[in-house]
Amino acid sequence: MSDHHADTPKPNFRVGDQVVVKLGPPEAHCRTPTYIRGISGEVVELIGQYHNPSLLAFHKPGLPKAWLYRVRFKQSSIWDQYKGSDLDSVMADLYEHWLTPSKEQ
Amino acid sequence: MQRKVNDVGGLQSAPIDHEEHDPTFYEKRIDAMLMLLTSPKVHAFSVDALRRAIEENTADDYTKRGYYEKWLKAIRQLLIEQGVLSETEIIERIEAIKKRGS
Amino acid sequence: MTHPKHPDHSHHHDHDHDHDHDHHPNESDHEPLSEDRYLEQALRELLNEKGIITAAQIAQQIDVQDSRTPALGAKVVAKAWTDPAFKKALLAKPLETINKTFDLSINTPLELVVLENTPDLHHLVVCTLCSCYPRMLLGIPPAWYKSTEYRSRVVVEPRVVLEEFGTKISSSTEIRVADSTADVRYLVLPLRPTGTEHLTEAQLEKLVTRDAMIGTAIPDFKNF
Repeated sequence: MSDHHADTPKPNFRVGDQVVVKLGPPEAHCRTPTYIRGISGEVVELIGQYHNPSLLAFHKPGLPKAWLYRVRFKQSSIWDQYKGSDLDSVMADLYEHWLTPSKEQ
Repeated sequence: MQRKVNDVGGLQSAPIDHEEHDPTFYEKRIDAMLMLLTSPKVHAFSVDALRRAIEENTADDYTKRGYYEKWLKAIRQLLIEQGVLSETEIIERIEAIKKRGS
Repeated sequence: MTHPKHPDHSHHHDHDHDHDHDHHPNESDHEPLSEDRYLEQALRELLNEKGIITAAQIAQQIDVQDSRTPALGAKVVAKAWTDPAFKKALLAKPLETINKTFDLSINTPLELVVLENTPDLHHLVVCTLCSCYPRMLLGIPPAWYKSTEYRSRVVVEPRVVLEEFGTKISSSTEIRVADSTADVRYLVLPLRPTGTEHLTEAQLEKLVTRDAMIGTAIPDFKNF
């Protein structure tokens, strides 16, 4: 999944961590949707390290590689008047630089 | 928060059109061209670059232009960006095709 | 309209773009503008002449893509329903297991993840930012999956969208929407319908629709 270089930083988050998605600033090519920005969720998977798409989008090598996480959010955390079940959730695959630790763990 | 044209999660409540058609040969050719251009062997540009080029559409164009139309426009732009083809030769080739009638 | 909770969200109104409702993006794909046809031909010719992409390569790629259809996904699902060892391997290493078991050579830098439905959990897949889809297995996505309307609505009102697809999920079952924002592609492993214990793997394959593997439908035996 990821090729380790000697200087590869370790992932900042682990499965189970509560994280908050940053509000911005968005890159010129951004893969963090607006609807989850500022929202708190839980890391459910450490997916791996990937070339940075924001750099690849401009024909740059996309280094350093970024850690990618699957984060799950309760729908009730995202939307003011979510009309479905309180059990419902959304997952998105997000890069580490878009996540901060949540104060509530 | 200003959104990019493609960043649509949560915005609309318009009905979803369920109509489907089998891809036309034309659509398959564009799809194949894109897959080959972004393949590791050819690597004319990345899929990320394609997405970025499509995101550069105006909101109006993004909504009105067809899916494959947007792909074709992006492919043209990126091939020029990457110096694979020149704008001049594309324009000249289109003119030649029109003149020859096929 | 529900609004996102993040602090400085913009109130986006539903009908603020008054575009021509007679226009279907799908229709313009049926009959592309003649300028686009010329452009496609010009690019194809130039790339061929320069040896970058030959006509033979295009033809071969079309064949490869044509061979990826929901029928392939259905085989994977039916086998997962009947073969616990396969299912375990599939969930752990999806593409590797599929290639090995079905003698394929699906080769992609992308990752395939299989999302298993249970009686308590129903998955639904979308790409809100573009149209990412497990093409390497299911083929080209349907137009509705790529539409702004689906991409927009399914994250905020999945149950309403599902009802429009004729699918009702109990409120005691979690609906989990997977937004494919990066290099992972998602395939839903739907629940095996009850009453199918006597069916063969080949018969079970016929129950698995493309929409069931996206999550907008549930395999159904009663109406089969």
